[in-house]
Amino acid sequence: MSLKHHLISPLLGNNPITLQILGICSALAVTTTLSTAITMSVALTVVLCLSGGVISLMRHHIPPSIRLIIQITIVASIVIVIDQFMQAFMFEMSKRLSIFVGLIVTNCLVLGRAEAFAMRNPVLPSVVDGLGNGLGYSLILLIVGALREFLGTGGLMGVPLVTTVAEGGWFEPLGLMQLAPSAFFILGLLVWLVRVLRPEQVEQPEFRLKAAEDRRP
Amino acid sequence: MTGRLLDSHLMQQRRGWTPARVTLAQSIALAGPVGVSLAERGAVQIAVLMTALVACLAWELAFDLIRGRSPSLHTVTAALIFAILVPATVPLWQIALAASFGVVFGELVFGGRGYGIVSAAAAAAGFLVFSFTGASLSVTSEAVALATLPGAVLLLWGGLISWRVLASVAAVLMAVELARQGLSGLPMVLTTAVFGLVFLVADPVASASTQWGRWVYGLLAGLLIMLFDTLAGSAIGPAALVFASLLASLFAPLIDHLTVAVIVRRRGRVHG
Repeated sequence: MSLKHHLISPLLGNNPITLQILGICSALAVTTTLSTAITMSVALTVVLCLSGGVISLMRHHIPPSIRLIIQITIVASIVIVIDQFMQAFMFEMSKRLSIFVGLIVTNCLVLGRAEAFAMRNPVLPSVVDGLGNGLGYSLILLIVGALREFLGTGGLMGVPLVTTVAEGGWFEPLGLMQLAPSAFFILGLLVWLVRVLRPEQVEQPEFRLKAAEDRRP
Repeated sequence: MTGRLLDSHLMQQRRGWTPARVTLAQSIALAGPVGVSLAERGAVQIAVLMTALVACLAWELAFDLIRGRSPSLHTVTAALIFAILVPATVPLWQIALAASFGVVFGELVFGGRGYGIVSAAAAAAGFLVFSFTGASLSVTSEAVALATLPGAVLLLWGGLISWRVLASVAAVLMAVELARQGLSGLPMVLTTAVFGLVFLVADPVASASTQWGRWVYGLLAGLLIMLFDTLAGSAIGPAALVFASLLASLFAPLIDHLTVAVIVRRRGRVHG
């Protein structure tokens, strides 16, 4: 497994959101605008790289029985630093993201990569794996954030791109896009799209309606 | 209808239902309300109806082609129900968008009519209300309510809607309305609710399909309708019916599951 593989494969082939279905909660919560999605993506990617590196560095000294506690402690320390940094230098953004930066601690993706990769790989591949997964997460977040902000408000990054009906233009914003369900729909469509492009990702159904399938006209 | 309802051999043998016949029966039942709404609103309603029909059928045809099935017309019922729920003041492109959303996410992504869990018409109406500021649903008139009745009888006779669901919802609505305003409000509540009850709440795909579960489902739907109405602070509204039907139908599989579990346990005690 080359470093390039660790970096590239989580982008589409093994994407943390669309294939592993991890980190969905924040993907729903912070994607109402593109700017919050970008900030969240950067914060999570940094946490993933740092925690991967630190945990990998300590991996021979972590007793297996308490490894989860140690991993969480490390992740939490990094997240607290990032949260404080954001409150100090980008207060407005920190207020808009509210609790979700702090909640990176509980993001399944961070612990998932620590447990599945950093615990059994050297430092450099672990950092690259964190970066790759962070970028894969960011890719999806940016797509969802851009779609939701554009369709919901008619602008991107707070800059209006088309004039809305309220301001005398033609564009009618879709109110639903600013509500949480739309993130589910967009994520669902993205998962669908990826699985059309990569049919090997399709899961086998647990049940089949045998009789009904046969009888369909 | 093909999935949950027509899956039982018994059903098919006893009533001779096929998916196409179910769609046909529902369309016949809807002919009355559709005709009355056309007469009431005039030419504008024709445009609404055509938009909804074209949007729904185009998506169904696309999905039939992708999935290698022969072309079908099952989304006609969703389009007809939706066209009666939307007021003619809504722009046509919004109607097309909402109808597309409803049939794709309420029905086609699950595998077609009968495989989903909610009523596609209710999903479309919910999308319309949530998405566009100022968009509201139209209150069905007394004439539409009257025209619903023959269709309701037809569907009841064919076993396509359950009298248990209708009786249960109606009982809750009447009880709450009696407690709230007394006898005077009763006729109004029933006339505004009857179309939504027959074609949204009692939809055979969306509602519970065990006998006891249907009573529980109706109870839940009735309470939700009254809750949403009270929150909105108005008389019984079409939006309350739509959202109550959507929410109740999400619980229908759970209600059925629990009903079956209870029956199995009781039988185990008797025979075990």
